[in-house]
Formats: sequence, C-alpha cells, structure tokens
Amino acid sequence: MEFVQVIAFGLLLGGVYALLASGVTLIFGVLDVVNVAQGAFLVFSALFTWQIWDMLGFEPLLLIPVNGALMFILGWAIYRGMVIRVAPQGPGMTVLLMFGVALTMEGILNLVFGNKFKSVTPPYFSSSLTIGELVLPWPQLISGVVGMAVLGLMYAYLRLSWAGRALRASAQNKDGAALVGISNVKTSAFAFGIGAATAGVGGVLLAIMYPIYPATQYDWIARLLGIVVLGGFGSIPGAIIGSMILGLTESFANTYLPQWSSLFFYGTILLILLFRPQGLMGTRTREDVA
Amino acid sequence: MRDLALTMSGVEAGYGGGLVLQGLNLELERGTVTCIVGPNGAGKSTVFRVISGLLKPRKGSVLFGGKEIGGLSPGEILRSGIAQVPQNRALFPEMTIHENVLLGGYAIRRDRTLLKERLAMVAEMVPMVVERAREHAGNLSGGQRRMVEIARALMLDPALVLMDEPSLGLDPKSVAKVAELVRTMATGGRTVLLIEQNVRLGMNLATQGVVMEQGQVRLTGDAAGIADNPEIATMYLGKARNPTT
Repeated sequence: MEFVQVIAFGLLLGGVYALLASGVTLIFGVLDVVNVAQGAFLVFSALFTWQIWDMLGFEPLLLIPVNGALMFILGWAIYRGMVIRVAPQGPGMTVLLMFGVALTMEGILNLVFGNKFKSVTPPYFSSSLTIGELVLPWPQLISGVVGMAVLGLMYAYLRLSWAGRALRASAQNKDGAALVGISNVKTSAFAFGIGAATAGVGGVLLAIMYPIYPATQYDWIARLLGIVVLGGFGSIPGAIIGSMILGLTESFANTYLPQWSSLFFYGTILLILLFRPQGLMGTRTREDVA
Repeated sequence: MRDLALTMSGVEAGYGGGLVLQGLNLELERGTVTCIVGPNGAGKSTVFRVISGLLKPRKGSVLFGGKEIGGLSPGEILRSGIAQVPQNRALFPEMTIHENVLLGGYAIRRDRTLLKERLAMVAEMVPMVVERAREHAGNLSGGQRRMVEIARALMLDPALVLMDEPSLGLDPKSVAKVAELVRTMATGGRTVLLIEQNVRLGMNLATQGVVMEQGQVRLTGDAAGIADNPEIATMYLGKARNPTT
C-alpha cells in the first residue's frame, strides 16, 4: 500500500508542477521569452495569500480567482511596459530583464514580509482523507486536483476558443498569424498574462502546502525550468508529462531516499535529456513548413 | 469604361533611405489574373508589401475599389478585401488543416453564420480541406500546403488575392492544381495578382502581364503577348525563351 500511496503523492505533486510549468512553457512558446521571474510571481501570490489569510482569516482557496486575475494583470503590464521594449534585442536580453524583475520582486517581498517562513494553515491543513489504507493529506489532495482542473480548463480554452487558437497560431508562425489578421502584440500580452495567472493560482496552492519566504523563488524557478526543459520548451503536453515524471520521482525519493531527493529530481532530467535533447515532446516537423 | 479593382498611381516606396518603387503606376481590372515579372530587384515583392500594408508608400496613391488604402494597417487592408498567399512558411504546422483554414476567418470570427458559409464555399473550391481536415499541416507536401494556404486566404472572400510565386517548389501536378484554382478564383469575379519567376507559367496562368524594371512598370499587355515577346525575354528576364523555366 505504501507504493500506491507514493504514486498518489507523486501524481498530486505532478499536478501542481504541471500547472506552474505550463505557464513558463506557454510564455516561451508564444514569445520566445524564458520567464525566469515565474518563481517570483509564484512566491508573490503565495505571500499575498498568507497576508489575506492572516488578516481576515479568509479561506485561502477562495483567493484562486483573485490571485489569478491579479497576476494576469501584472503579467500583461510587465509585457506591455517592459518585455515589448526589450524583446527586439533578443532572448538573452529578455532573460536578463526577467531576472531583474525577479530580483526586484524578491527585494520588495523581503521588505514587506521579511525573510521568514510564512505558513497558511487552514483547518484542513493537518487532516487527511483516508480511503482504506491510503492516507491523502487534504492540502496535497486539494492542490493536486485543483492544479490539474485549472490546467485542464486552460488547455481546453487554448484548444477551443478563438483567443487560444490565435495564441497557438502566433506561437507556431508569427508571419502566418499576421497574414490572417492576428495581432502578435495582443497575443503576446495575453500569453504573458495567462502564464503569470498560472503562477497566481499556483501561489495559492503552494501556500497551503508549504511554508514560503521570498528566497524560495530560486528553488521554484529551478524546478520549473527543469520541467520545461524536460518536456520540451514550448510544449504544454510536454510540461504535463515532465511534471508527472518528476512528481513521481520526487515522491519516491522523498519516501525511500529523502536525503537524495534533489539529486533524483535533477538527475532524472539530465538522464532523459542525454537521450532526447529536444525534450520529451520537443516536436520536429518538416522544417520547410513554417 | 474599365472596371478597376486596384489603381496604383505614382507610388514611391522603399526601405531605409533607398527607394525601390519609383513612381509606379499599375491598374488591375476586376476579375483578371495579372502576373508581374521582372529581374531580381525590380520591386515586385515591394509592390505586394505596399498593397498589403506592410510598407507605407512615401508618395502616390493606392486605390482599392475606389478607396485610398495606402498607409492603412495590414489588418485594415485584410478586412477591406485583400488577402495574400505568401511564397512559403505561412501555415501553422502543429494545427490541423481544418484549424488552419478556420483561422483564415479570424477577422469574421464573431459572425458564426458567415464563418460557416465561408467554410462551405472554401470546401467546394478546395475539397482537400474537408477530405484531409484532421491531418496536421506540418505533414503536408509543398503542393498540398499551397492549396491550404490559398483556401485559408479565401476565407475572407477577398476581392483581390496576392500570390507570391505560387508555383515555387511544386511538382507539375501540383502546379496544375494551383493553376486551376487561380482560374476558378478569377472566374468567380476575384482579381488575382501574381508574382512568378517562372515567366511562361505565370503568363499561362494570367490574362494580363506586367514587366517591371527598377521600380517602375516598363510594359503591360495581354499575357500571351508578353510571354511570346523575344525582346522582353532577353531584355528583362535575362534569357531566351524557354518553355519550362
């Protein structure tokens, strides 16, 4: 039964990772921008959740739409105010820009919240759902299920809505998109907003799972970039598969070899990339098509 | 009285400090297929860029259906009824053929009835977009890809279609299919403007021919006359008449 428990943990953790990593990969897919500030967005949302919960005793999960919308606006504004000006200088400059944004946000968060762990502990924080011998802590269960549900909604939106089609079209062929009347600027701003919104939602989930302080952004962005590289930059299905693999790896390592957990996480990425350098879902279509 | 779809008068346009089009005058009659030929650097592609709004003319006027479009944005020009089929690299490779064609109707996406009508119209003109709707565009051959690109351009039911080297890289069978589609478009009342390096093929497709040199129109006339003019072939096309190249 321990084995099943470990798998369940791994998949729930993978669900949260998948939501967070899909934001990074979406932004890269549309804009060719590696958003290294996604970890800072995440921590910002988590600390905001803590602040509201601490002040008002609010059920933190109710902040999901609020934080999602807030981070969408922030992401949209960062794109329109900064990224759009730096993007013509090339991907290297946008990485530096987003690194600067991350450091600035960390500095502000340090000033406001201090450099101490903050924990959101709603009533279900230390209770579990028991099914036979299977014990699933509510925070992990809720986070995993909500993460996957939000990701599913986002994926459906990207597949079925006009805005989603425009976004995917722009990601695949900017010139082709312009030819059919899609504005690459609007699409890019929308993609940046959606990517940041995933961090907004993810921050709430993170807040009920783990203690947070500003510098944890480094740990998170390292994990997210690892997942995105493993899945194939720009591929949302790749990010989901990569997240599940790494969620399971981490769950097994935490259970059986906890001191080696990080090594297993990054070692798995390294091992897979040795055999598939383009990532798990890095596609190679006919190069003359687009 | 001539029924003109497009009139370019005294158009000057270029890049940076240089002028590519130097007082270009061009008239396209409605329902005709016109092919522009000329040596490299003559300004053929720049004509397309000006008409489609990618390059603003510095002087002169561009009238489409009697209205000035010179300087409008590419989106406005697209919505006014001018669609472009570029030389290559225009499709969305990870999307299906259906999605690619559907996105051609992005500008009319809020009118579902019209969108349905256009999909039906395009399916009638280019049946492969229905027959192979679920296939990914990234797996298509050059000829199939060109058909999807044309189908996508037709989604806005454009009055003027700009086609940049429609035969480029295609096998003879595919070229024949594209040619048939071009003729169908013209029969349906659309005006088609082509750029073709393959002079004989271009003139075979076209009803009218235009020879450009140094940013100006040097000669216009019916396509057959231009194709058979040995002086034109040697002067502007750099070679003697050749039936296949």
